[in-house]
Amino acid sequence: MLRTDPYAGAIFYLVMRGHMLQKLMRKTIIAAITAFFASNTFADVVVIVHPSNNSTLDDRAVKRIFLGKEKKFSNGTGVTPINQADNDARDTFDSNVLGRSSSQVAAYWSKLIFTGKGVPPKEVGGDAEVVAAVAADPSAIGYIDSSAVTGDVKSIPLN
Amino acid sequence: MKKSLTLIALGCATVFSANAEVRINGFANFVGGVTSSDDTVYGYDDNVSFSDESIFAIQVSGDINDKMTATGQVVAKGENDYKTEFEWAYITYEATDNVSVSAGRLRLPLFRYSASKDVGYSYHWVNAPRAVYDVAFNNLEGFRVDYNNYAGDWEYGFQLAAGTINSEIDVPDATGNPVEVDLKANNAVLLTAEATYEWFKIRVVGGRSSVTFRPAVLETTFAQIPDNIADALRIEDDTSEFYGLGIEVDKFDWFVNAEFTEVGIEESFSPTDTAYYVSAGIRTGKFTPSITYESLDGEGEIRFLDLVAALPEPFQAPVGAAVTGTQQAFFDKYTVTTLGLRYDMDTNVALKADISKYDDDLDDTADATLVRFAVNYIF
Repeated sequence: MLRTDPYAGAIFYLVMRGHMLQKLMRKTIIAAITAFFASNTFADVVVIVHPSNNSTLDDRAVKRIFLGKEKKFSNGTGVTPINQADNDARDTFDSNVLGRSSSQVAAYWSKLIFTGKGVPPKEVGGDAEVVAAVAADPSAIGYIDSSAVTGDVKSIPLN
Repeated sequence: MKKSLTLIALGCATVFSANAEVRINGFANFVGGVTSSDDTVYGYDDNVSFSDESIFAIQVSGDINDKMTATGQVVAKGENDYKTEFEWAYITYEATDNVSVSAGRLRLPLFRYSASKDVGYSYHWVNAPRAVYDVAFNNLEGFRVDYNNYAGDWEYGFQLAAGTINSEIDVPDATGNPVEVDLKANNAVLLTAEATYEWFKIRVVGGRSSVTFRPAVLETTFAQIPDNIADALRIEDDTSEFYGLGIEVDKFDWFVNAEFTEVGIEESFSPTDTAYYVSAGIRTGKFTPSITYESLDGEGEIRFLDLVAALPEPFQAPVGAAVTGTQQAFFDKYTVTTLGLRYDMDTNVALKADISKYDDDLDDTADATLVRFAVNYIF
């Protein structure tokens, strides 16, 4: 994936002048367009649970679970949310489902951790690890890119 | 109480060694500041200083069983020469999904950010607005019951806290040197109610306690005036009351929050303090610029002049002067305007800078401008 760095861009602007500038601008625009489409595909994050889980889930329930406000599924069984370590799926989930930036989510948890009011969800690294953890635990809930869904877990699309 | 705290700490240590599920978290605020020339405010002066608001803390918590958790937090504050102290040590019992009970030494839920006041990372300021947050009675030795639930789009919660407050306040003695004076509040009870609807939050709080606070410097004065007036002025088992209202609108791209508090001891020399702040900010990417206005009004009516008027004529002038002087010495009235910027460097590091203009309404020579910068870290 291409990433654009506006600061690097500014420095380049100062260093390279004349004909180089046009070329650079074209590159920046292409990079911006690529980043735009790339970020749209990231929005395709799905929530996954154990295949035996028959509870109903909507956006709000998932949000409450991942913010530590809900400790049970609608069918009454305990819930173990599984978070992703700092990556694109996490960013998408934080902004689309939790409605906050990852920094704000961290600030939210810092308030709860240091008052003994809550423990943030365990973090694992990457979609495959989330699938493995959810497949092994009937109480688990996680989120992954839709392309990573396997038959071992049940996926729930979020609106 | 110290003994029981040690016991809890030992309890924690035993539990932790026996159980694999131990969580260690910590936070650090590295805060530097400097005032405009010849000014002093919040302990800062016109030389750059890092020791006034810097804090380092480690918290260890562990599950005793399914429903019980032990938590201990050790804090080192720059203003106390980084002497480590057990800020909190308590055990929490989760009675149901909605109710939890904590017992030990814990933070009194006075304000919106009381619980995380020391954790700079949790808010957009360099430090929580002092006009409201700078009170001497932050920690409670006792218990707290938390109830949380939701109905439709509304989330709501109640907190009941009760116990004893043991604290110290620095009071200048006759020669002007600060002396630590014990502040003790017995039978402290505090009730908090909070409701949140997506982007809107409202919070009300009320509490009372029986306070004793006797600076030696005042006793010298009290010895020279009639007993009934000295008793009226003195803070000894006197009822103090605390009220607060907090409102917050957070639309993610921008937010506005405000808190209003009133605290006082009616039957005493201590004036009733009315304080509030209003803060607004916008979030643009990793940056959160904000503006905060805070105000403290602790300039009350002079009390007990009716008692002075009942004295024989020759005593009225000298006793009146002592009564008025004692109360005026504790008057305080100021406003602070702060422009601040937070930058989220990472999901556990924030950089901040702010500039504050402190306006003292009672003493113009105390006006000051303060620039601060901070690094907040959590792990």
